[in-house]
Amino acid sequence: MTAGSPPLVGFTCRHTPLAMLHAAGMTPFRLLPLTQAPDRAGAWLHDNLCPHVKRVLDRALDGDLPPLAGVVLMASCDAMRRLADAWGTARPDDRVAVLDLPMVDNPRSVAWLTAELERFRTELERWTGRTVTDAAIRSAAADLATLATRLDELAAAAAAGTLPGGWGALQAARNLTVTAPLDESGRHLQQLAGSITRGKDPDCPASLPVLLVGNLLPDPTALSLLEACGARPLADDLCTGARQLVAVTLDDVPDGQVTLRLAEALLAPPHCARTLCPGEPGRWARELATRARASNAAGVIAHVAKFCDPYLARLPALRLELREAGLPLLVLEGDCTSGSVGQHRTRIEAFVEMLAEGT
Amino acid sequence: MIRDHFAELVTGLEARLADAGPGEPVARKTFALEAAQLGLRLFSGEAPVAWCGVLAPFDLLHAVGFEPCFVEFVGATLAGNGAAPPLLQLAEAEGADPTSCSFHRTALGAVASGLIPTPEVVIATSAPCTGGLAVVEELARRLRRPLFVLNVPHSRHQAAVEYLAEQLHDLVGFLAEVTGRSLHPGRLREVVELTNRARHAMVEIDRLTRHVPSPARPRDLVNFALVVSLLLGREAGVRVTGAYRDELERRARDRSPGLQGERLRVLWLQNRIQFRSPVEPLLEELGVAVAVDELNPVTWPPIDPEDPFPGFARRMLSTPLVGGLAHRLDHVVRLARGYRVDGAVNPCHWGCRQGSGARGLVDRALREAGFPVLNLEVDCVDQRTFAEGQVRTRIEAFVEMLAERRPARELEA
Repeated sequence: MTAGSPPLVGFTCRHTPLAMLHAAGMTPFRLLPLTQAPDRAGAWLHDNLCPHVKRVLDRALDGDLPPLAGVVLMASCDAMRRLADAWGTARPDDRVAVLDLPMVDNPRSVAWLTAELERFRTELERWTGRTVTDAAIRSAAADLATLATRLDELAAAAAAGTLPGGWGALQAARNLTVTAPLDESGRHLQQLAGSITRGKDPDCPASLPVLLVGNLLPDPTALSLLEACGARPLADDLCTGARQLVAVTLDDVPDGQVTLRLAEALLAPPHCARTLCPGEPGRWARELATRARASNAAGVIAHVAKFCDPYLARLPALRLELREAGLPLLVLEGDCTSGSVGQHRTRIEAFVEMLAEGT
Repeated sequence: MIRDHFAELVTGLEARLADAGPGEPVARKTFALEAAQLGLRLFSGEAPVAWCGVLAPFDLLHAVGFEPCFVEFVGATLAGNGAAPPLLQLAEAEGADPTSCSFHRTALGAVASGLIPTPEVVIATSAPCTGGLAVVEELARRLRRPLFVLNVPHSRHQAAVEYLAEQLHDLVGFLAEVTGRSLHPGRLREVVELTNRARHAMVEIDRLTRHVPSPARPRDLVNFALVVSLLLGREAGVRVTGAYRDELERRARDRSPGLQGERLRVLWLQNRIQFRSPVEPLLEELGVAVAVDELNPVTWPPIDPEDPFPGFARRMLSTPLVGGLAHRLDHVVRLARGYRVDGAVNPCHWGCRQGSGARGLVDRALREAGFPVLNLEVDCVDQRTFAEGQVRTRIEAFVEMLAERRPARELEA
């Protein structure tokens, strides 16, 4: 961040209303669990708690974060709630906003989230001393949608093997778009788009197509490792991947309706495992299996942070659905350190070998 | 298997109650009998069962005509009679995460082995834990039953009460739509009045158990409020809570301590260990009374029989395990002071992201208020992982430390 840059606001979840933060003249800064900070969060949070929140707290405790004007945390799961509690105690001088996030996507949930967003808008206005207008939210949403569209194009290129640097480069770009000002992100994505090759990148290794699912995999080297092991994601369904920045169009939404529309968009698909569809229990697993089949993936790799109940509890259903679809599943549990993905190398290679034998 | 277990329990407890002499304690037996009868109804295959999240409004569901129960009851019951380990193994073999909560894993094992009766409906609650929500969804998926989800808000202000109350109205509409069972206003009023009568007795129980020494016997109030929540809105709830109130009142009046030679008092956080373990006998042997369980005291105001939905919502939101931790910390510190305890025991149930996840902060808050905490790393359901020697040594050391502090505390008092 340079002098005069917009103040940064930390966040941890893709359901955060990023457009509102930009509209308040702030830059959302995703608190990615990428750090060399020592494990100090254990003093506050139990050993069996999600490593994502623990690594984020480690960063906060170790000063491994840029100056933040505040932190916004979504009460999306037990671990996030505990992170909010611990943050408030460990760094009592920080501004911390906690927003409730309903577990289902229905009109009543949308109304509740709308009220939460309005409350947050007021809080942001208090933080910044400026009015957060609907027009500013619309404009920020349009800028973010441009970034999201460009990231989708880059993901398609990575899947096709025409993006130099492949999925690692894509992930680095994805990380930038949630930590840097909009204009800086826009410039970088444009530059990256310009590097897309016409034919397959000659450096791109021969590989088998897979669908990559799960929650967190923000380390670009982890994505590169997958490719180096011979697995080429056709697409992904990750909290730090394709679901991180989703285009929301508010252009035609009149004043007074913008927050409602934003709430609808935040609860709308693509859903992560925590969002339920009461009318169709197990929908998350079913949808992923359908998607894997439709994408012609040879198999599915799920990368899930340890102790993440919303994901781990739904993996057996995913395994069943994929078995019925005739698609193998490899589950990798990570602890949000680069070491954990490195340890998975042998398993990924074996999985790819098995897929190759089956094709 | 489970049905037979409950049937045997009912027969045995009825006989013991019939044989009880005058003045003999009967409250715990009455409680156990009602819990066993509940189990018998649930597993009889005859009652219209609703498997639920732990915060569901069970009295409202009684009013609609259901036999509702939270899924953790299954884990606790099976652990209590030593039947949990094979079910845990089965659940894990089917892919359940071995680091997840064993209350839930046991329930999954019970579903996989066909022990759980198919319910009419499944009702999930987004609190107290996301693991519980996921398991209830899994039950609905596996048993192919209609699912309703109650979003329990993270906050407790009036808008949150209204949001939750509206969802409870939606729940009643959902039940009518998918099962044809509808709510009669007169029946609802009767149920709420029964709930309020039980609540009144529970408030008295809270008051009486503050006596030093405690009039409650060591195991009297184990799992009390959790199971009573399943009896609210029924005569059984009034009967059980009334029996406790009368018995505790008598013992308090007669200055008859629940634990002879009570030396020290502790607050027990969250859940008890459900299988037979040496923890409670050891505490008893060392003269330590569990003066209060965190989840036993009443945290909710009476419910208005004419407009009960906001009251049901307030009750759900008042649970210490809902929302931000500040509310829970206030609650446990208030209990520690009010019940004049010497310290607290926290069985950090492995796999509980909600409760154990807060271990460090709960520990800090109680210590700052002057109450040492013993954090036991245990699993409250999975006896396979219980390290008896280690737990015993830690308890003995903790009690020794509390005893050394006692004179200083008495001096301060």
